[in-house]
Amino acid sequence: MTHAVIGHSVKRTDLLDKVTGNAKYVADMPLAGLLHAKMKRSNIAHARIRRIDASAALALPGVKAVLTHENVPRVLHAGSPHPRSASVTCDQYILDDKVRYWGEGVAVVAAISEEIAARAVELIEVEYEPLPAVFTVDDAAAPGAPLIHDREPGGNLVLPPVRIERGDVDKGFATADFILEGVYEGGRPTPAYMEPNVLTCKWDGNGNLTVWISTQTAFMVRGIMAEVLGLPLHKVRVLVDHMGGGFGAKQDLFQSEFLCALLARETRRPVRMEYTREETFLGGRTRHPARVWLRQGFRNDGTITAREAKVVFNSGAYGSHGPGVTNVGTAAMVSLYRCENVRLEGRCVYTNSPIAGAFRGYGVVQTYYALDIQMDEAAAHLGLDPAELKLRNAVREGDIAPSNHPLIGHGLEACIRKGIEATGWAQRRAETRQQQGVIRRGWGVGCEMHGSSAYPGIKEQGNAIIKMNEDGTVVLLTGAAGLGTGAHTALAQIVAEELCIPFDCVSVVHGDTDVVPWDIGAFASHTTYMVGRAAQMAAGEIKTQLLARAAAQMETTPEQLDIANGVIAVRDSPGPTLTVREAVMPRKGLPAAQFVGTATYHPTKSYSFAAHFVEVEVDTETGFITVAQVVPVHDIGKVIHPVAAAGQIEGGIQQGIGHTLYEDYQIDMQTGRSLNANFVDYKMPLAMDMPPIHTILLEAAPDPGGPFGAKGVGEDPIVAIGPAIANAVYDAIGVRFRHYPIRPEQVLQALAARAGEARP
Amino acid sequence: MRAFEYLEPATLAEASALLHRCGGRASVLAGGTDLLVQIKESHRQPAQVINIKKIPGMDVLTFDAVEGLRIGALVTTREVETSDIARRHYASLARAVTDFASIQVRNRATVVGNVCRASPSADTLAPLIADRAQVHLYGLSGSRSMPVESFVTGAGKTALAADELVSRLTVPAPRPHTGKAYLKHGRRVQMELATVGVAVSITVERGQCLDVGIVLAAVGPTPIRAVHAEAMLRGRPVSAGLVLQAAHAAMEDARPISDVRASADYRREMVGVLTRRAIELALQETETH
Amino acid sequence: MRQLIALTINGEPRELAVEPHSTLLDALRYDAGLTGTKKGCDVGECGSCTVLMDGKPTNACLVLAPEAHGCTLVTIEGIQPDPDTVHPVQDQFMRCGAAQCGFCTPGFVVMAKALLEENPQPTREEIRFAIAGNICRCTGYTKIIEAIEQTAEALRHAPEATR
Repeated sequence: MTHAVIGHSVKRTDLLDKVTGNAKYVADMPLAGLLHAKMKRSNIAHARIRRIDASAALALPGVKAVLTHENVPRVLHAGSPHPRSASVTCDQYILDDKVRYWGEGVAVVAAISEEIAARAVELIEVEYEPLPAVFTVDDAAAPGAPLIHDREPGGNLVLPPVRIERGDVDKGFATADFILEGVYEGGRPTPAYMEPNVLTCKWDGNGNLTVWISTQTAFMVRGIMAEVLGLPLHKVRVLVDHMGGGFGAKQDLFQSEFLCALLARETRRPVRMEYTREETFLGGRTRHPARVWLRQGFRNDGTITAREAKVVFNSGAYGSHGPGVTNVGTAAMVSLYRCENVRLEGRCVYTNSPIAGAFRGYGVVQTYYALDIQMDEAAAHLGLDPAELKLRNAVREGDIAPSNHPLIGHGLEACIRKGIEATGWAQRRAETRQQQGVIRRGWGVGCEMHGSSAYPGIKEQGNAIIKMNEDGTVVLLTGAAGLGTGAHTALAQIVAEELCIPFDCVSVVHGDTDVVPWDIGAFASHTTYMVGRAAQMAAGEIKTQLLARAAAQMETTPEQLDIANGVIAVRDSPGPTLTVREAVMPRKGLPAAQFVGTATYHPTKSYSFAAHFVEVEVDTETGFITVAQVVPVHDIGKVIHPVAAAGQIEGGIQQGIGHTLYEDYQIDMQTGRSLNANFVDYKMPLAMDMPPIHTILLEAAPDPGGPFGAKGVGEDPIVAIGPAIANAVYDAIGVRFRHYPIRPEQVLQALAARAGEARP
Repeated sequence: MRAFEYLEPATLAEASALLHRCGGRASVLAGGTDLLVQIKESHRQPAQVINIKKIPGMDVLTFDAVEGLRIGALVTTREVETSDIARRHYASLARAVTDFASIQVRNRATVVGNVCRASPSADTLAPLIADRAQVHLYGLSGSRSMPVESFVTGAGKTALAADELVSRLTVPAPRPHTGKAYLKHGRRVQMELATVGVAVSITVERGQCLDVGIVLAAVGPTPIRAVHAEAMLRGRPVSAGLVLQAAHAAMEDARPISDVRASADYRREMVGVLTRRAIELALQETETH
Repeated sequence: MRQLIALTINGEPRELAVEPHSTLLDALRYDAGLTGTKKGCDVGECGSCTVLMDGKPTNACLVLAPEAHGCTLVTIEGIQPDPDTVHPVQDQFMRCGAAQCGFCTPGFVVMAKALLEENPQPTREEIRFAIAGNICRCTGYTKIIEAIEQTAEALRHAPEATR
């Protein structure tokens, strides 16, 4: 069924300002009297602050205020306080008398220029009393390890272990024909969004605070700032216009928010804090490094009798999204490949390392790397084709998903089948069997599924308010953040489709917590699914009111009327029509209609699926792995905006290639010092490193819970690409890697070990 | 950046006098793509910055079949990258400047600046040394010149006196039947600092290697001439087996360290791989020259 | 102490009072009020601050403000031929979905315009080589490359559309 507006790649409303340079990001906004804030960061990973002296800094001309732990409120709070979240970690102070990772903020300065603020930061004297530091989860979880946080459940655990059990695992292993076991490890990629973290705070004379900030979660920022600063919500206004990327990681508070507000209050001037690129590494959020121990029992036909896994996530110095990532990443392992008997355990451990937080994929990147690669290992063990074996085991309609709901549709199966056909898979794999030479090629497949919305961890809701103007045009008020994904365009398309009016009759208002309805924030791939559904419902309300009024004017009943392209007509009848504008506008004696539609949607969960087919090249002399091409096949239900959806997939693939082959944010394992907090040595794949990507979008399993059957897409690509690459490398050189990133040296060492040579 | 005094001399003499007056606390600004980063990251905190881009005559890139290539101090890496002469007669240098940073950076960064920065991973040094380039210095007590090979004295260190600047580089005219190649090892295709670099210049007549220069970058504090590898090839008939031996010999000449980019072992192994590949490439080039 | 520089920005003569130790990027953003050029890393590694300086794509973060005296600069704000018309590069970036968060977009648009002026019919490899120094974290580069290819195609049919 073709639709009038959705399913078409309409011109996005936000792009004109972006391509002309007119889009204003927080650092672009001029404000009279603006002060600049800089943070002093620790050069030690674990220490008590014995003495901190800001007098020299305060004496520097141009410095207006300095804050240390001695003069900020001491309020324990959660770094990522998602309201109604299943578990939230309250382990942060604005500034503490202890530092827990190298680079943690210990003081801030506000001055008339960034340069003076930076100089003042150098003049602050700090005396540290070193504490023993632990950088690995094994060291941190060992009995007697130094405690990084003195809080429940103790033992440097962020939360009590997550335990999930289904069926009878022991019986499952007993009936297995063979068992595979392995340890799979994930390194430390970071989101590396192009716009460094930034915010500006300003108070007015009545104690109202305005915050301009690059964040994905404006209402969360409002909520926690109000709480910590002791303000009611209507006195805190958070504004988000354009923001330069987040990928999940701008869903936290970074110390800077409170500090900026406090500096602004003390100096009575607006204060802006803009991170340097280095600070986005030091003070930002990374993905959780992880270790997954996975053991599965298989029958000789490759189906799974039992699955047991223990996952350990490295939280870094604070809890941030530890509970969410642990829950979601661990729970995901009940699914993807069918298994009735499952026993899972997930832990999250504090270490004196950079803070791990939310990042696209949210624990599932790590656990599905293990799950998919082990399925590939089973295929190799049995001499079966891995795509066929994954198809055989793929979850299907009715299976209980990690959210405890039955899955809708056969999305994953459709993706795998399509990819097999589109790539000529059997032929590709036959070709890689026979090859000689220094450069070896290989093909691999990786599968994934990901839920739209953070249910059940967070009982989310999507809200929408729509007003129809007296000329029939429409304004959608939404709290959904503008990450740059094209979400607002998709929401406008949904509204236009539901109301049967042209796309350019809909405008979207967002980004002002005083105006738009409450929204949980843009993450968990839920904006299209959840807010889109709410927008559709609200549009439905408007449509009802509109048709009632039109019916009165047309002397018929609403049930007889249809709208198409902004024109209302009696069904199956030639005769006078009414435009939407005519229906609502004021007439002599009749006021204009005041139509407002509101909706709140409490979703459960929908799952999107993907199978990525990847060709790699391995240079067996240098160990370099290059991705030669990617054929990502995605089922996302009804596609609202094909170009925007493909854009999400291609971008996620870039990040996933980075995770698997290039990126790792490293620290010195003796001191905790950052080693590569810059773009020279934190290597993201660039334009010349990226392969051609031939995206295939399937509408195989629309979800009636989503608007017109649409589901999310943001996180799926980054989950599927990693194992696909690792599996392709196995096809190319017969070496099985169970970790990321895979370094060239490791490729050479593995090849040498396999050839039995001693290394020179 | 920390404040500094900004100066724009109009002549070399003026620049030299300023450097002398500033007593070692000044930095010379040509392209600025290294200096500004060093200042921002607090590796250098000059009290004065001396912009030499107003001095005439230093932006000249010329070639003469007898005298060879002349690269003025203000000639950018982008100019060398896009020079037909450089690509034809100095292919290793042309390759080195092409694989260097980004176009945006290359529009500013100078070859002489790269030489004077003398970073262990510098890209231009190995090809220049393999081609026996000379650096020409100007100071209060006059001009002098020396091989680039002697000019670089340590990691980030050169033979420049406090009052001296480099006015130009000269590179001898290539001999007939000479092929040149530069291979840089970096994880990504562009925007990389070399983990290993190998420059080769080889002259072959009737299958006999008349002369060869093999210089390694990023595997020591300064570029390393792989003398053992060179000795293996010079005066001998060239064969695949000999090339392989030379590549292995180069591995022994290398003195790599381990850092966040790569381990010493891996770098050493890559010296072997890249030396072999660079010699093979250079040999192919001899056939067209 | 600030010094006065005189230069042409987007066709207009401007005088700016700049700190000698500030960068051209900061001078554009703070002193000239042109915030379209972005600061992504401040050390020449990301290309977000790409401007055309005497016609050459340059990282404004690596130029000292006083060096810009006497120069002709084009920033993202000067790419469109007039307020009601976008440049073909900008048009294709919108059509192809080559921008998502948009932060890197000004740098890419300026770089693409410079590329097409020098090489109106670039191959895909030449396009990738030209944008090697511009980082995008949202798009994976696929649609950026496509947009530049489409622009070359559009200009082939209407070459007067570029200025």
